[in-house]
Amino acid sequence: MPEPKIIGFLCNWCSYRGADTAGMARLKYPPNVKIIRVPCSGRISPELVLRTFREGADGVMVLGCHIGDCHYSTGNHRTAKRMPVLKKLLEYTGIDPQRLYINWVSAAEGEKFATVITEFTETMRALPPMSEVLR
Amino acid sequence: MSDRLNDLRQAVERLLPEVDGVVALKQGPGGIVAPHLFQREQPADLAALALWPKYPVPDTLKIIQKAHPGSTLAVVCRGCEERGIVEMAKHAQIDLAKVRMVGLQCVADEATFCRCAKPFTAHATVTVGDKIEGVPDALTDAFLTKSQEEKLAFWKEQFTRCIKCYGCRNICPQCFCNVCALEDETWVETGRLPMPMPPMYHLVRAMHMTAKCVACRECEETCPAGIPMAIQFRLIAHDVQQMFGYETGAVIDQKPPQLLVLEEGDYAKTGLPH
Repeated sequence: MPEPKIIGFLCNWCSYRGADTAGMARLKYPPNVKIIRVPCSGRISPELVLRTFREGADGVMVLGCHIGDCHYSTGNHRTAKRMPVLKKLLEYTGIDPQRLYINWVSAAEGEKFATVITEFTETMRALPPMSEVLR
Repeated sequence: MSDRLNDLRQAVERLLPEVDGVVALKQGPGGIVAPHLFQREQPADLAALALWPKYPVPDTLKIIQKAHPGSTLAVVCRGCEERGIVEMAKHAQIDLAKVRMVGLQCVADEATFCRCAKPFTAHATVTVGDKIEGVPDALTDAFLTKSQEEKLAFWKEQFTRCIKCYGCRNICPQCFCNVCALEDETWVETGRLPMPMPPMYHLVRAMHMTAKCVACRECEETCPAGIPMAIQFRLIAHDVQQMFGYETGAVIDQKPPQLLVLEEGDYAKTGLPH
């Protein structure tokens, strides 16, 4: 079984710094996640997630600031409103909604970052590759 | 049927002196039925008033209102169309203060045709016909019993038939953006049929219909390939109700979630970590 390809959209202010914190603490986590830094998790439109899947990603992570901590005050509220709906839509299309993962990781939560990445990679390893599912 | 038509004609006749025009269906020469603006200057038009087929009422009303912003209009609308008008008003596309709604209650045949859960109006002050209860949506219920693999296989088969005519988007009475994401090459490639999975066109459209679709089924009706895309819209409408307590077009004063900044506790039912 090939290793799962995962794209992680990380908000610049919290989750990306969280990844830095994890790195500085020398925490180990699987290298499957290709990180894309975005100004805010609210930047991630459903279109972006869907296209990421179509380009062959097995899983997509959207990590942002905790609600109330957004650098732009309400950016992650958009994430919180649209991503649950997108997960439901994936389910209704017959794509495992687990393939889209949303969580809040702050700059201080290096350990949580490592845990979240490890757990999601494990979940994706248990699922068949997206290319096989969609064929 | 003829009873309802007669009642409607009388209701429109009574309204004509009070408003600048009434938007309703008219049977033209050759039996072609089309939307028409009934005005008091031409009372003879009322003889050709018609009930069926459905058409995108909110969109038609929006176009007339944008062209004549000062006018007071009345509009004959069914339950779904009324919800559509209310929803469009929330998105500042229709000025509800200048609209009088004449509710046309659907009969059982029409409700069955539309698999409609709410074939009646809720806000119209004048209504025509008897209110009936909604019918169960057997197609959506059957879809829900499918397994994940069966669901994917079902949509693969359906979306393979899509010829990307954009008919469902064009007919949609709730679509109003000047710049459409579905025309952006970044999201929807041109010149590729059948469209590759996951079908960007249909999924992006489904996302954009969130808290906007009023289940009028115009898209399914117009689709030359007969794709039952409203299944997804209906399931998502149900989820939005569960997650955010919002029902599209039901309450005039309630803003849709996408126009609001919610409080932290409001996300409790979305299944997100918090």
